Amino acid sequence: MNNDILLDERIEVIAVFGSGNSPCRPVKFRRKSGREVVISEIGLGFPLPQGSRMIHVFDVTDGQADYRLEFDATTLTWKLVREADHSV
Amino acid sequence: MIMHIDLNSCFATIEQQSRPLLRGRPVAIVNRATEHTAIVTASYEAKQQGIGVGMKLATARLLCPALVALESDPVKYRFVYRKLMEILQDYSPYVRMKSIDEGLIDFAQSSLEIRQRELADIGREIKQRLRGEIGNYMRCNIGIGTNRFLAKTAAGLNKPDGLTEITHKNLREVYRRLGLEDLTGIAHGYGKRLREVGITTPLEFLDADELTLEKQVFHGKPGRDWYQRLRGWEVDAIDSTLQSVGRQFVLDERNLGYDEVLRRFHGLCEDVAAKLRHQSVWARTVRIYVKSHGKYWQSLHHEGRAFHDESTIFTAVEKMLRTAPLPAIEIGVTCTDIVSEPDSQAELFSNEEYVENITQAIDKINLSWGDHTVHSADTLGLANRMKRKVPFGSTRYL
Repeated sequence: MNNDILLDERIEVIAVFGSGNSPCRPVKFRRKSGREVVISEIGLGFPLPQGSRMIHVFDVTDGQADYRLEFDATTLTWKLVREADHSV
Repeated sequence: MIMHIDLNSCFATIEQQSRPLLRGRPVAIVNRATEHTAIVTASYEAKQQGIGVGMKLATARLLCPALVALESDPVKYRFVYRKLMEILQDYSPYVRMKSIDEGLIDFAQSSLEIRQRELADIGREIKQRLRGEIGNYMRCNIGIGTNRFLAKTAAGLNKPDGLTEITHKNLREVYRRLGLEDLTGIAHGYGKRLREVGITTPLEFLDADELTLEKQVFHGKPGRDWYQRLRGWEVDAIDSTLQSVGRQFVLDERNLGYDEVLRRFHGLCEDVAAKLRHQSVWARTVRIYVKSHGKYWQSLHHEGRAFHDESTIFTAVEKMLRTAPLPAIEIGVTCTDIVSEPDSQAELFSNEEYVENITQAIDKINLSWGDHTVHSADTLGLANRMKRKVPFGSTRYL
């Protein structure tokens, strides 16, 4: 199976809230270790309702690895929940 | 006119959209994270290396060691399905999603403004919107025809990312390029029957007279339908009604004993009951089946009163399962005799009202806090093992 690493890591995120089809766009994030990841592309963003809570999922890449970020619209917190480098 | 839109290699393309590093690489989507699982979708790059749907992952890896296998992510696919449906609904009030990855637009009821536009322009616009509103890696095949059959046939002609129209001008040319079994609805059985009367190509099928098709090949109305379908007359504009609600599960472990199989049946019962309530329908019959190596066993139970609660289904399942042959490799529960209203006559000595109230309360909590927040203690710990997968046929639960 693909080498996905599942995480539950609180992260700090710089995001732009603009207009258009994708109004919220994470730009970069800092991991618990202090490492900064600059997002080069947002692959897909989609809402993930968890009962009455709304989580917004962003599958992103920095060109080296793919990441999944989750933004909890109730608590206004970001989490890194998956990392994958797809190396052969 | 009908437009058929097909997201080819749908789940793999969505994964490649979602995970940019996978673009241009062979990707396979599977429903379970084991090497013995079968592939449900392969990317174009994987297909080029001979990997197809239904192939075992372990076999596929032998053909293509660089294959990236991903477990399916139904939430993401549902999101894309809904976005696609939203886009299509901007062009007509009559949009039907045939499955999670294909839909059709009937322009007969569209506004005058839409009907005055060239359909090929609308097709190009849909492709552009798909890329703009979902992601720039999304591709779809679009077919245009006078009926569903021709539109679907057209969508299959120029993959990937094609836009093809079948008209009376190119109809014969299109059929000339196809084999009999390339036609949607003609599989091995019908193909054999057609060949038995000397029809070996779609062109010969088109030129066959109606009586031959009706009397000699299809033995009745299907022959008349094929005669019209091939010429672009609409015979498939029928919305199916809900006949059954069910769920199957390939067991996560071999050689599970009766108690563990029963627990997994209980998990299926919870899901099937939730599906019935989601559709606001009731059922009167429960059918279960157990598949083991080379054996298929099933049992039926008719309930006196219409139900849509988990406890009624599970009580019936528990009784039936006692005589089932175990160990099993696959199990399933299906409810049939679907009705749209509960029984109007209340039973004098039953706890029906109590069960209905409890069920409603649980649904309310799960709606507010998320699926499976409250469930039977018997199914504790099973939610992760029995995750709902992507339904390929019906789109009722998307």
